Amino acid sequence: MRFRTQDPTLGSRVEERELISRVLAGDPTAERALYDAHVDRVFRLVYRMAGDLDRAKDYTQETFIRAFSRLAEFRGEAALSTWLGSIAISITLNGLRKVRRLYEREVALDDALTGARAARVVEPDLKTRLTQAIEDLPDGYRAVFVMHDVEGYTHEEIATSLGVHPGTSKAQLFRARARLREALADFAKE
Amino acid sequence: MDDRFEDLFRDSAREYNEPPETPREAMWAAIQAERAAEKAERAERAERKEAYRSFRRFTVRPFRSFRPLRWAAGIAAVLALGIGLGRLSVKHPPAGAAPATAVATTPRVSAAAYRLVTTEHLSQSEAFLTLFRASVKTGGDERLASATARQLLATNRLLLDSPAARDGRTRLLLQDLELVLAEIAQLSAQPRSRDLDLITEGLEQGGMLSRLRTAVPAGASPTQGAL
Repeated sequence: MRFRTQDPTLGSRVEERELISRVLAGDPTAERALYDAHVDRVFRLVYRMAGDLDRAKDYTQETFIRAFSRLAEFRGEAALSTWLGSIAISITLNGLRKVRRLYEREVALDDALTGARAARVVEPDLKTRLTQAIEDLPDGYRAVFVMHDVEGYTHEEIATSLGVHPGTSKAQLFRARARLREALADFAKE
Repeated sequence: MDDRFEDLFRDSAREYNEPPETPREAMWAAIQAERAAEKAERAERAERKEAYRSFRRFTVRPFRSFRPLRWAAGIAAVLALGIGLGRLSVKHPPAGAAPATAVATTPRVSAAAYRLVTTEHLSQSEAFLTLFRASVKTGGDERLASATARQLLATNRLLLDSPAARDGRTRLLLQDLELVLAEIAQLSAQPRSRDLDLITEGLEQGGMLSRLRTAVPAGASPTQGAL
């Protein structure tokens, strides 16, 4: 039996508090209801950031495990979805940093063995170039860009999730877009 | 940049790492499994802590509840009873006979008896722990081990409360042995390999078997054919 609550960003805080109280009291159906209400949003964000199904699954699972174990610490100052988003983004960025470090080590080893990799021969299309340009953004810019322009988060939600001011979120988005446009400048000229 | 490029840019951005359908059930199953494992681990840790606490309570209490006046009164009562019985039962020798020389043999006999019992217990424990360690590797019956450990534990506790434990080194050995035996006695019918690993690890790290072998004089161990 699956319990679905309405999206907490639209639903009342009272309903959310009630659900949290039931989870804290050890009600397993409430746990499932909370999971069902938020899992899509968390998974979408994590997948957009990770770009890999296995990693996205791992990070989403870890987000909920951590959220359930720390739910008593949730003070309700922000919406539960925002709080979950902050856990998800922190887990994802940390996870990706680890993966990147490992990847860099492997690449360094490969390069040492086979020499520098050959330049790409095929000129990629806009989508591929944009994907690469987003990947190349610094973590903070990328998170803000993905959350705002791709997933539709507000600057307030992004700011709470990343622990920054909304003004910082706006500034980072502006810089991220500028970098992307710069990277795709030759497409704009065509 | 023209509007057409802006639209293309926005559309392409929306397709960036487009997520597949959420693998809801698979992730929920994994979350549940992980949380159950965490819960079990927490419970196990609490159980171990409680077992250790009750063990400490058991070993520390006799010293904490030691009341000199009560002990003195008890000893005095036993002495008085002994003297009374002695006077009643002793036949008075005929006058003129030379008085017999008093020989204090009882305490010496008693100490020797305790030493013998302790040696026997330690050698049995050493044999048991050697067999237990071997059976962990080959997968033996833990119920039997648990029952034997309980028996040895009872003797161990009696010895700890007896004059045999007056010697500091013996007391320490018996106390450490008690911890190991208590762990084995608590094993369930089908213990988890982690429990067994922890016990064997404890045996190795504490050097329990070598300490037991050192404490038992050569030839006294049942594994060497003495029993």
